[in-house]
Amino acid sequence: MRKLDQLCERSARSLAQRTSRRSLLASLGQLLTGAALLPLLPMDRAGRAQAAEAKPRADSPEDCQYWKYCAIDGFLCSCCGGTSASCPPGTAPSPISWIGTCHNAADGRDYIVSYNDCCGKSTCGTCDCVRNEGEKPIYRPSRNNDLNWCMANADVNYHCTVSVILGVAEK
Amino acid sequence: MRSARLLCPALSWPLLAAHALAAPPLPAEHLTMERLPPRSPHWVYVYDYVFDNEIDARVYLFDGDRYRRLGQIGAGFYASLNLSPDGGTTAVASTYFARGSRGARTDVVEFTDNTTLTVTHEILLPSKRALSVSSLFNLAYSPDGHFLYAAYMTPAASFGVLDPAAGTVLGEIDTAGCVEVIPSGHYRVSSLCESGRLLTVTLDAQGHELGRAMSEPFFDADQDPVFVQGIPTSRGNVFLSFLGEVHEIDFSGAQPTFTAPWSLVSAAGKGHWRPGGNQVGAIHRELGRLYVPMHEGGEGTHKDGGTEIWVYDLASHQRVARWPLKVHGLSRVTALQVSQDAAPILFAATETSDLAVFDALTGQLRHTTKHVAQSPWMLLNP
Repeated sequence: MRKLDQLCERSARSLAQRTSRRSLLASLGQLLTGAALLPLLPMDRAGRAQAAEAKPRADSPEDCQYWKYCAIDGFLCSCCGGTSASCPPGTAPSPISWIGTCHNAADGRDYIVSYNDCCGKSTCGTCDCVRNEGEKPIYRPSRNNDLNWCMANADVNYHCTVSVILGVAEK
Repeated sequence: MRSARLLCPALSWPLLAAHALAAPPLPAEHLTMERLPPRSPHWVYVYDYVFDNEIDARVYLFDGDRYRRLGQIGAGFYASLNLSPDGGTTAVASTYFARGSRGARTDVVEFTDNTTLTVTHEILLPSKRALSVSSLFNLAYSPDGHFLYAAYMTPAASFGVLDPAAGTVLGEIDTAGCVEVIPSGHYRVSSLCESGRLLTVTLDAQGHELGRAMSEPFFDADQDPVFVQGIPTSRGNVFLSFLGEVHEIDFSGAQPTFTAPWSLVSAAGKGHWRPGGNQVGAIHRELGRLYVPMHEGGEGTHKDGGTEIWVYDLASHQRVARWPLKVHGLSRVTALQVSQDAAPILFAATETSDLAVFDALTGQLRHTTKHVAQSPWMLLNP
């Protein structure tokens, strides 16, 4: 173990001889100055803009709080290659669905929305969204979002869910 | 020298390793298969819905005393499951596709021996199984275990009567739009209807319909619907409503009888505190204790988990305890189950997929298992 001690000591002395405290301070100073300048560079602003876009706003169909999704339970097709009203390529829309009544703050109207599942591939697995305004248990199937609405398709595998405006809800 | 003292232990490991090489080698191991220990009342079956990959659901057997997983049962796509009345068998009704995520559909009930966790046999079903998130009443045994009832939905509602011992489908019973298979007597099956009534079908020993009866409405689906996740009692079931009304149904007579509903919340708290989650309560049948995950919220929050567990005495309808969860660092509780022994433990699955084990008499938290499953949806025990 003494030889190991001596080896370690030589290594430490060598490092000290090659490196001054002043050079350490200089390196730290460069690092801190660079960090301070970073927010001024155009690249940084662009990066932050991308970061802002990465999180959808509530008026985006990729956000669970989007007004049409008030009674949805599933993966948003908008995140899976489709849109809020179209199924992703290679899947098939369910001919049967459940419905919700959602308020659109932009025009102050309530709309009847049909929630159809897109079928034939396994779960999309992203943008899971569960909202239950007016949702009812399975004994009222037309308002139930716990069922796999691909049940009447040739391929019953569930992929994602769309929300399609059927019309303005009458008071 | 300070640097040397710091660096040297790091540099000395090859010497230590060489020293270890001088120790006797580990003995050769023999590959074996673990066997389950004798069944414990503190075991629970955790149904993992696996929401991100629904074709691969599973059931984990979890030991609530040692806080470890004991084994796994496969559950396929949109599974329904239940335990036989003697606890010896897990029945899983599931759907499989010929090529994994696509191809020909096969609906099947698979029976697993709970002493070995191996599949013993299966029953092929018509391709009309109800593809819904699971409750205790998508697949259920008759009290004597002679029949197994499987809910169908195409979306026309009906149920299959199966003979689990013979491995056969005996027949199909139309339920006129009413859903779920709730065992409600020797060979009787009840279903919940949109009208708030209970349809009860009586079968003969061969599984054929002898007769049916419709109850008076006992809830209002518009004003205050009941959760379909009923909770078994010693004489029937309890159904909770979205607003916290407790509907007790007695199945011990010739037809179901309904006691006057009572409320989990005071008049002032009604509509403010609510039950919610995927499995909205558990009952210790001998103690007459009801455990409910409760949260503060309005309309549309009926699937939100509880921030507290409220405990009730079923005989007096009085709340006897209120157990906040945040103090334990737990997220909202979405499923509850309680063991039925004299020293009961309460299992609570959370929205962040943890499984907490409480002393069901005192509310003392004994253990939390992090990420027990991907989507722990329902907890079962015999």
